[in-house]
Amino acid sequence: MAVIETVNLTKVYGHAETAVTALDHVNMVMQAGEFVAVMGPSGCGKSTLLHLIGGLDRPTEGCVRLEGRDTSRLSDTQLTELRRRKLGFVFQFFNLMPVLSALDNAALPLLLDGARPEHARAKAAEWLHRMGLGARLSHRPRELSGGQQQRVALARALVAEPLVILADEPTGNLDTRASDEVVGLLRQIADEAGRSVLMVTHDPRLAAYADRIAFLKDGRIVDETRLSGDRDAEAQVTREKVAAL
Amino acid sequence: MNTLFFQYALAVRYLLGRKLRTGLTTLAIVFGVTVFFGLGMLTPAMSEAFRQNLIMSAGEVDLTVTHVTGGSFGAAALDVVRRTDGVAHATGMLRRNILLPAGLGRASGTKQEVTAVGVVGLDPATARTVRSLSLTTGRFLSDDDTSTMVIPVGLASKLALGVGDTFALPSSSGTAAFKVVGILSARPAAGVEEVCVPLSSAQALINQPGQINVVEALLAPGARRDSVAAAVQARLGDGFRLGGLEAGGEVQAAIKFGQTFYGLFGLMALLTGAFIIHNTFRSVVVERRHDLGMLRAVGASRRTVLGLTLAEALTQGVAGTALGLAAGYVLAALIMAAVTPLARDYLRVDIGRPLVPTVPNVVASVVLGVGIPVAGALLPAFSAARVSPLEALRPAADSSATRAAGRRALAGVALIVVAALTLVSGQFALSSLGTALFLVGLILIAPAAVRPIASTFGRLLGLLLAQEGQIAQGNLAREPGRAAITASTMMVGLAIAIALLGTLSSVLGGYRGYLDRSLGAHFLVMPSSLVLSGGNVGAGPDLAQRLRETPGVGALTTLRLASSEAQGIQLQLIGIDPGSYPLVSGLTFSQGDPAQAYAAIGRERAIILNGILATQLRAKVGDVLTLRTPEGDLPYQVVGVGLDYLNSKLTTGYISQAYLANDFHETSDVLLMVNAAPGANVAAVGGALERVVRDYPAFSLLDSESFRASQAEMLANFQRASYALLLAIAIPGLVAMVNTLAINVVERTREIGTLRAVGTTRRQVQRMILGESVLLAATGTAFGILAGLWLSYVFVAGMRATGFILAYDFPWAGVLACVAVGLLIGVLAAMLPARQAAQLPIVAALRYE
Ligand SMILES: Nc1ncnc2c1ncn2[C@@H]1O[C@H](COP(=O)(O)OP(=O)(O)O)[C@@H](O)[C@H]1O
Ligand SMILES: [Mg+2]
Repeated sequence: MAVIETVNLTKVYGHAETAVTALDHVNMVMQAGEFVAVMGPSGCGKSTLLHLIGGLDRPTEGCVRLEGRDTSRLSDTQLTELRRRKLGFVFQFFNLMPVLSALDNAALPLLLDGARPEHARAKAAEWLHRMGLGARLSHRPRELSGGQQQRVALARALVAEPLVILADEPTGNLDTRASDEVVGLLRQIADEAGRSVLMVTHDPRLAAYADRIAFLKDGRIVDETRLSGDRDAEAQVTREKVAAL
Repeated sequence: MNTLFFQYALAVRYLLGRKLRTGLTTLAIVFGVTVFFGLGMLTPAMSEAFRQNLIMSAGEVDLTVTHVTGGSFGAAALDVVRRTDGVAHATGMLRRNILLPAGLGRASGTKQEVTAVGVVGLDPATARTVRSLSLTTGRFLSDDDTSTMVIPVGLASKLALGVGDTFALPSSSGTAAFKVVGILSARPAAGVEEVCVPLSSAQALINQPGQINVVEALLAPGARRDSVAAAVQARLGDGFRLGGLEAGGEVQAAIKFGQTFYGLFGLMALLTGAFIIHNTFRSVVVERRHDLGMLRAVGASRRTVLGLTLAEALTQGVAGTALGLAAGYVLAALIMAAVTPLARDYLRVDIGRPLVPTVPNVVASVVLGVGIPVAGALLPAFSAARVSPLEALRPAADSSATRAAGRRALAGVALIVVAALTLVSGQFALSSLGTALFLVGLILIAPAAVRPIASTFGRLLGLLLAQEGQIAQGNLAREPGRAAITASTMMVGLAIAIALLGTLSSVLGGYRGYLDRSLGAHFLVMPSSLVLSGGNVGAGPDLAQRLRETPGVGALTTLRLASSEAQGIQLQLIGIDPGSYPLVSGLTFSQGDPAQAYAAIGRERAIILNGILATQLRAKVGDVLTLRTPEGDLPYQVVGVGLDYLNSKLTTGYISQAYLANDFHETSDVLLMVNAAPGANVAAVGGALERVVRDYPAFSLLDSESFRASQAEMLANFQRASYALLLAIAIPGLVAMVNTLAINVVERTREIGTLRAVGTTRRQVQRMILGESVLLAATGTAFGILAGLWLSYVFVAGMRATGFILAYDFPWAGVLACVAVGLLIGVLAAMLPARQAAQLPIVAALRYE
């Protein structure tokens, strides 16, 4: 069964003359364990797509189905619970709580869910170890590098063992090496833990880590490519497609 | 739920993350609780001390009859009681608390001092038929005794007195020595110890020949107390009261007033604290919008976010209250330590009792100290909970608050109109409430008023800062909501400061005026206690006579004292000599013609009221008051409303000494005012007077000059203390101001980055922020000063309505100081964030979200 399915997903901002159609009847399906990259020019609706799927915002028309369940009719409280248990977010600007340690930041979704603090921290520590941050548990965000902060955010997204990871330009603020590390980890998660990953990126080289690339333009999916596995070759093809958009 | 733990953990982290801000805002709570709790604890202790010192014993006998005024009466009432069915025996007594001047109440070589005794004049023949008085040694008073005394065993040991020794008491003719003939076995001592003397000696001692003030009766076997009591009451009329005798009602009322006043002050400090916390949290929510949105994005519910903000306020409230309770205790102890010797020396009242916090006081302090910050944080907490998860991902959201601002401004105008109406009502309680409404109204108007005010001041600023001034003005107009938070913080702080300054200087000016007018005499012969009621032994006619005969003495006048009741309100009556009083001293009249009023009280049953009494009775010139007197209820016509300095805080009426003697049986002088004759050497006259007064230990001679100086010094101290309190209120306000301004800048980091990127220099950025800050400060200051002047005018008008004559003293110095402080704050508050913003690397600023 599809983990995520969008049906005629549409988002219009503003009214009348100032109305902007950010998403225009998008239909898209994602299977469990699938890694999908979303590409497209700035302002084409990539972030909006992620926000709607993540329940951060409500569609103007159409719906999002998570494991077959329509999320557009859920109350704010139900959506909040959904975000806590089924979804993990990674943002471009690491968005960690500055007053909390790396460990507590990573444990946040479990703490918010009412888990025992020891349990939440143990699980968070486990994920931070896997992210290679075992020695940085008690550091505050400002004491970590950008790549390290983004890996803490990744651990936070994974700690509640969600179905789907939504990553909006997770490497937008990272250098090449850190970017490769983060996207490599996403790939690993999809492969080993069977989580679905939906990632927005501008970099064809990073998009090549995915199983599939969806190209978005003016709020519509204009192309979809399944990838073979030869990353360098795929990156070259993608580069051309992006240029053509 | 474990989220609760999480909320507190996070709350504490946030609080610790901003230690200075947390500390200073919590300080507001600490301060409020300190004042509220400390003074709340102090006043009951003082009240109790006065009560115990002044209370007259409720007899441990079947029936006690006293006059409702506490005054004395003739023997006729005793006969009435005696002849009532069911009364077996009755005896008349004259009982009075007497304050012992320093020296009389101390055995040589001991440190312990007795400040007051209750003197009970007993009829030796009948007293023991009613009261059981058992002796340990010696004998009881006998019929043909004069100047003998029996004293309780406790007092005997304190003063090291035995049978055969003498004990001197201050009397209306100097001192009177009594020979101790017996020692009474211990009685449970509530309040002062009682000594018994023959009735005739007591009457001579306090100059009330033939008078008694208590009748005690023993019921016949089988008689029912309530039916006998009803019969006695019916025959005596409602001028008499069955039960104990209490005195000092006016002093109690004054203490109550003090308690209310300082309670209000504490409450005001707490409310200021609430406002500061409210504003701090409003800016905190703005500042943390990204954090909160992120929490919501990763699954924090609205309730969790709400709880997080409230947990912070709660933590501050609890910490502030705990510190405040401790500080309040210390404050009360310090005041107690400072006041105890003064009260002992001047009021002859021993208040050195342990401070025990009462349960209601603790509960009220905790409820207010914890509740007020939480209440202040409530609205910001709700707006925190409304932050959407998308806020974490977006730069500043647009503020479409303009329409809401319009509606609020209307509500604000309505409130101010209501406030003005309460002012017109002329009722003090109502106009105080109006004051609160006025401030809330101003806060509501502020957001709508920021734009026009900003543009007015902006034009001025434009002359100084040209380009940057324009931008600054634009920034304010674009974010009226946030600018209004800052400006209204400033406004409320300065309004309160100006209001208090204005009121204070007017009131103190008023007092100084009274001081000069009322105490115009060269010399005062005053009782050892400055409070004119309860326990001072007056002087008989011989003191005044001897003073008058002293060479070099010109005019002399005396004051006498009694207490009464009108329309259920207790009051003190001052007996003046209408002929000599205006020559030496004088009342300041707010109603009625002085010459006619003095003539009237000399001629007939007429009374001059002081302002407090006139207000409480709602009486005006021409009204007829019914005064309770030992002779029954008697009509007195109001012929004036006026005030003197000494009695300005007590409900007081002035009648002539002739009527005081006739209706209240009071003929002793409690205060004498003496002028030197024209041309006489004032110092020499003082020396001569001193030699006369020395024979009257209950009195001391003061030259008015030094008395006025000491009173003026006291007023000045009061003024200084009030300024210190003002400062304590102001400091957290300044912090709030700096805080909101700083956040203003942080919020626009990206915009500043853009300005820098397109070529704005660091200096220009700094100037722009400085301009904005000064604009805000000017707005807040202008509003604050206007509001403060209005408020102080209301306060002064309110006091005037109580008959207190005072001119409105425009607080020029205060206004200038506020303008200076306001602008200085504007500059200071901008300096740090302006530097920061200018120093920020352009790229970092641009990336800042
Ligand atoms: N809150 C909003 N209000 C109005 N328009 C918006 C809002 N958010 C996004 N948009 C518009 O919707 C379109 C898609 O935006 P977005 O999804 O952020 O694009 P992308 O992430 O692909 O750059 C853009 O034209 C953008 O201006
Ligand atoms: Mg985007």
